[in-house]
Amino acid sequence: MNSKRHNDTSALIVGGGVAGIVAALDLAETGRDVYLVEQGACLGGQVARLDKLYPTDHCAFCPLWTDIKKVQRHPKITVYCRSTVQAIAKEEGGYRALIGEKPNSIDEGLCVFCGRCREACPEDAVRPVGEHVYPPSYLIDPDTCTRCEDCITVCPTGAIDLDRSAVEISLLISEVIWATGFGEVDLSPLPEFGVGSHPDIMTSLEFEEWTAEAGLNRGKIVQKSTGEVPRAIAFIQCAGARDMRMLPYCSSVCCMHAIKQAQWVKRRNPEIACYIFYTDLRTVGRDYYEYSLRELRDSPIMLVRGRPGLIHPLPSTDAIAVKYENTETQKREIARFDMVVLNGNLRPSAVRTADGGHSIPSCSKEGFVDVKTDKISRFACGFTLEPADVAESSIQASSVAARVSIERKVKNRTHD
Amino acid sequence: MTDVRVYLCRCFSEVDRTVDLERIQERLLQNASVASSTIVDSLCLDSDIQRVAAEIKESGAERVVIAACSTMGRGDSVIEGLAEEGVDRFAIHLIDIREGCAWIHQDEPEGATFKAWNLIDMGVSLVAKKDRSDDVTIRVRPEVLIIGAGPAGLAAAVMVAKLGYTVHCLDRAAHPGGMLRFISRSYPNDEDAVLKLAPYLDEIHNNARIAFYPQARVETVTGFAGNFTVRFSSGGQERWIRPGAIIIATGAMVYLPHGLYRYGETQNIITQMELERRLQSESDSIQNAVFVQCVGARIPERPYCSTICCPASIKNAMRIVEKNPDARVSIVHRDIMMPGSILEDYYRRAMLQGVQFVRYRDDMLPAIKGYEQVRAVEVHDSITGTTRVLDADLVVLSTPLVPNPDNRYLADMLGLQCDRYGFFREIYPLHPLETRMEGIFICGSARWPVSSDQAIVQGEAAAMKVISLLGKGEVAASSFSRVPGQKFGHATVNPDRCTGCGNCVAVCPFDACTLQEIEEKYTYISRVNKMRCKACGNCVAVCLNGAMQVPEHNYRAVVEMIKRAF
Amino acid sequence: MVEETTVREPKILIFACRWCGLIGADGAGKKRMSLPANFRIIPVECAAFVETDAIIRALASGSDGVIVMGCHVGGCRFNDANHAAIKRLELFQVLLEATAIGKERLLISFGTAHEGHQFSDVIQNYTTVLRELPPIDPWISTLSVRR
Repeated sequence: MNSKRHNDTSALIVGGGVAGIVAALDLAETGRDVYLVEQGACLGGQVARLDKLYPTDHCAFCPLWTDIKKVQRHPKITVYCRSTVQAIAKEEGGYRALIGEKPNSIDEGLCVFCGRCREACPEDAVRPVGEHVYPPSYLIDPDTCTRCEDCITVCPTGAIDLDRSAVEISLLISEVIWATGFGEVDLSPLPEFGVGSHPDIMTSLEFEEWTAEAGLNRGKIVQKSTGEVPRAIAFIQCAGARDMRMLPYCSSVCCMHAIKQAQWVKRRNPEIACYIFYTDLRTVGRDYYEYSLRELRDSPIMLVRGRPGLIHPLPSTDAIAVKYENTETQKREIARFDMVVLNGNLRPSAVRTADGGHSIPSCSKEGFVDVKTDKISRFACGFTLEPADVAESSIQASSVAARVSIERKVKNRTHD
Repeated sequence: MTDVRVYLCRCFSEVDRTVDLERIQERLLQNASVASSTIVDSLCLDSDIQRVAAEIKESGAERVVIAACSTMGRGDSVIEGLAEEGVDRFAIHLIDIREGCAWIHQDEPEGATFKAWNLIDMGVSLVAKKDRSDDVTIRVRPEVLIIGAGPAGLAAAVMVAKLGYTVHCLDRAAHPGGMLRFISRSYPNDEDAVLKLAPYLDEIHNNARIAFYPQARVETVTGFAGNFTVRFSSGGQERWIRPGAIIIATGAMVYLPHGLYRYGETQNIITQMELERRLQSESDSIQNAVFVQCVGARIPERPYCSTICCPASIKNAMRIVEKNPDARVSIVHRDIMMPGSILEDYYRRAMLQGVQFVRYRDDMLPAIKGYEQVRAVEVHDSITGTTRVLDADLVVLSTPLVPNPDNRYLADMLGLQCDRYGFFREIYPLHPLETRMEGIFICGSARWPVSSDQAIVQGEAAAMKVISLLGKGEVAASSFSRVPGQKFGHATVNPDRCTGCGNCVAVCPFDACTLQEIEEKYTYISRVNKMRCKACGNCVAVCLNGAMQVPEHNYRAVVEMIKRAF
Repeated sequence: MVEETTVREPKILIFACRWCGLIGADGAGKKRMSLPANFRIIPVECAAFVETDAIIRALASGSDGVIVMGCHVGGCRFNDANHAAIKRLELFQVLLEATAIGKERLLISFGTAHEGHQFSDVIQNYTTVLRELPPIDPWISTLSVRR
C-alpha cells in the first residue's frame, strides 16, 4: 500500500455531508487546517441526493454546490473522497488517524468528461460520479469491471489506471469531528410493510430518487411496476421508527419529508390521491407547519392518523392494499394504492473502527455518538449525534467548530 | 485596439469533431482586436496551465479569450489555474463551446461552427470593452456587538470572548439571563436554570473582554460588515461603539392567551411561564393538573409550532408527579411535537411515569368547566371517540413564543427582513444564522422559538460565524461574494449622468446605494457602497440615464455582443 | 460572419443567470441532448442584470425572440433580486404587447430550465412558438435608447 504521511496538527472531520461541509468551512475560514474524509464518491451526503428541499422547495443540490465548491477550492481543506477512517490512536500531541482511500481507476484530476471510456466499456462499468457534481468526472465500478482495458485505449488524457491501488493515509490530528450522517435500515424484518413483495413498495429515499427531476424519469411520477401514472400513493410514517422492535426514536425529518414529497406529487399530478398515515405530524421548525398547510391546486393531501397494520399486494391486480385504522374515526379500512412510500427507517451511520478493541466513536445503543464517554467522541454534529434536519445540522456543525476552536486555543496556551 | 489572445481548445477532438476550429481561426485573423489565436488539444491539464500562463505573460496580451468547456466543466479550474500562475483574472474570459455548442449540436456541424464563431466573436468584444471595477480593502474591527443577553446571547458572548475578541453585550433588562431567569428547570436534562446560567453570568462579569450594558436600547446603526457604527443608550447614558459584526439574540416573548380558555377570568388557569414561577418556589403541591397544548398556536392567526411547548409541558408534568406521586396530570394535545431521539425518549418516560395524553382535534376544542375556580377540562378524545371530563384544580395553557415587537424596528435599522410573524429571516438552507446583510447574524428565539439548550448551541454557532469574519483582519470588497471565489465587480456610478432619481436606492437588495447631496449643484448623486454591492445588476437595469454600470459588463459591451450574436 | 451560413430560423437570444439558467444549459450539454443551433446564450450574474433596452436591441438586431432565464422566485442568491426583475420583465411584456411587437417575443423562464431536459424543452417549445409568428416590424429599432 502506498502511504502518504502528513505531519500537521489539524482537525479531522469524518463525513462530507451538510454538517461536515459547514464545520470544515467554519474551521478553515479561521485558519485551521482541516481534513475532510468522505466515504462516498463525492461531497454532499444524503441531502445532495435529494430532489427538493423543504420548506423552500429549492432543488437540493443547488444551495449545496456553492459551499462544496468553496470546500474544494479552499487552501486549508484537504478532501479525501472514497475514504474511511480505519483507526485513530492516541499519540504525542494528539491522535494518529489512519485513512483508507479506495481508488477510482479514473483520476478525477485528469478526466475531461469526454465519455469515451463509457462508450467503449462492454460491461457498463463506467458511470458519472454524480448527477450534479462539478467538475464532472467518471468512475469505474470495480465489481463490474473485467479489466479488458478498452477504456484505457480511448482515454485521451491517460486518466485511467486499473492498477491504481488503495492508499493508506496517516494523519496527525488534534481533534476529530464526527459528522457521518445517516443511512437506511432494512425494513424486511417488519412483516407488515411488505418490503420486497411489490416493486411499488419502497422507502422514501428510493421514491425521491425515482421521481427526481434529475433522475431516470425526469420528474414524472410513474409506477415501477407498470410505468403508468398511479392513481393513489400512500405515505407511511414511522416505518421502523418509534417502534420498540427496531428504532425506538423518532427520525424527526420524515414527517416534513413526506409532506414535501406529497406536495410535489400534487404539483406535478394533482389528480393523484395522496394519503399520509401518521402518528404525530411533527412540523417543528421554521415555517414547517405553514408549509404543511399548503394545498396545491385545490387538491388536498389526506392526512390519516393511524399506523397501517398490513401492506400487501392485491392479488390479480397491480395495486397494493393498505389495511389501517383511522384512529380519529375509529374505523378500520382497507384502501387500495398504486404506490406505497415508507418513511422513518433512518439510522445514524456512525463509523465503527477499532482502537485497541473499542469501537470509535462511542455510541449509544441506537447508534448515536455518545459525546460524554471519551475524548475522541466528544465532538459530533448532525444526524449522527441526534436526528436533525439540514438547518439543525448546520447549526450544530458551527457550534462544534466553535468548541473545537476553543479547544485549540486552550491547548496553545498550555504549550506557551 | 485591445490585444486579445484567443485560445481554442479542441478538448481532444470533443470540440472539433463538430466545430471546425480552423475555419474559425481564419476568421479570427480578420478581427482587428485579435492579436493571435491558437488551437490547443487541452487547456486544463497541469502542464497546459503552466505553459499557457507563461505564453500569456510573455506575449503581453492585455486580454485572453478561452473558448473551451463550460465553467461548470473544467473551465473554472483553467481560470483558477491561470490566476494562480499570475495571470490577471480580470483579463481572462471563458466561452463555452463544448457543453454549450459542440456537444448539443452534433447533428448540425455547420450551425455549430457558425454558433461557436458567433460566441467567440461576442466574447472578444466583451473582453475588449470591459472595464475594471475598483476594489477596496478595509480592516475588520475586532469587536462584536451582541444584542440580547439571554442564553443565546450569553453563549455567543462567552464564546467570542474566549476566542480572543472584544464583546459588547446589550440587554434591555437590568440583568442578563433573559427568559432563563424565570424558568425552574430546563429540559431535557432537568437542569436547574440558575445553575445553568451561572457559568455564563460569571464569565460576563469577570471576563475583561466582555462589556455588559443593562437597560440598553439600540438607537442607530450605520456601516457595513467589518466596520459598523452603533449608537445606543444604556441606563440613560449615550454610548457608541464600532463593532465588526453584530449578533442579534433578542429572544422572544410569551403569548398571553387573553380571551382563550377563560384565561384571566377563571382562577387557576395559568400559562406555562406562570407555572414555572410556581415550581421555582417549590412550595406548592398540585393534585389534578391539565395542560392544554397549542393555545394560540397552530391556528390561522399564528400558523406555526412553537417548538418548546410540548417538551416544556412534559417536563413540568413530570415535575408535578415527582413532587406528588398521587397527582393526576394530563396533557391535552393535537400532536406531541417531540422529534428526535432524546425527546422521544423523554416522551416515553413521561408516559411510563403516569402522565396521561389525550388527543383533541383542532375542530373540537377543549372546554373549561368552572366559573370562579376551574373545576375540570372537558375534551373530546379523538382516539377513543368519547368526550372525557378531566378533573382539574390547575389548568396550564401552553402558549407559543411570539416575536419581540421591537424586531421590526431593529430589522428596519439594519436592513434585515422579518417573516410575517416577526421572527428574523435567515439564508436557507446552509446558513441558518446568517442574514441578507453581511456581518449581521441571528440566533436563539429571535430567529425561531427554541429551547435554552438549542439557544446556547445557536449562540456558539453564531460566534463561530463571527470569528470567521473577524479573524481575517482585512477584507477586500471583492471577497464578499455570493459565489465561491471572487465577486464579479461593483456597480459604479457615472456622476455626470446621474440625476439622483433614487431608483437604484429603492431596488438594491443589499441596500448598497445611497443618495448623496451635492450642495453646489442642488442635486443628489447615487453612491454605491462597494462592501455591500454584489453586482446583481438590478440598479443597472432601472437606471434611467445609463449612469449606473457594472464595468465588467457595461452597456457598450452588451451592445457589441448583441450585434455579433447571429 | 462565417460564410453565408444562415441560422436555422427562428433566432433566440438568451440571457441566462449563472445559476438556474446555465446549470440547465450545462446539463443539456453533459447529456449530449440534441438541440437546434438557433440560440445564443449571454451569461449574466443575475437575471436582474437584464435591461429592457438590451431586449429591444436584441429584437431589433435580428433575434426573433429573447429568453431571460433566472432562478425560481425565492431562490435568488442575491437577496431575491429576481423579484424586481420578474416584475420589470412582466411589465415590459405588457409594453411589448401594447406596441404590437407581441409579448411572445420575450419568454420569462424563472426556475423552469434548471435541468438539462427542462432547458431542452424550453428551447424546443419556444422555437415552435416563434415559428408561428410573423416577422418583427422593423420600426422596433426606433425604440432603442441611444447611449
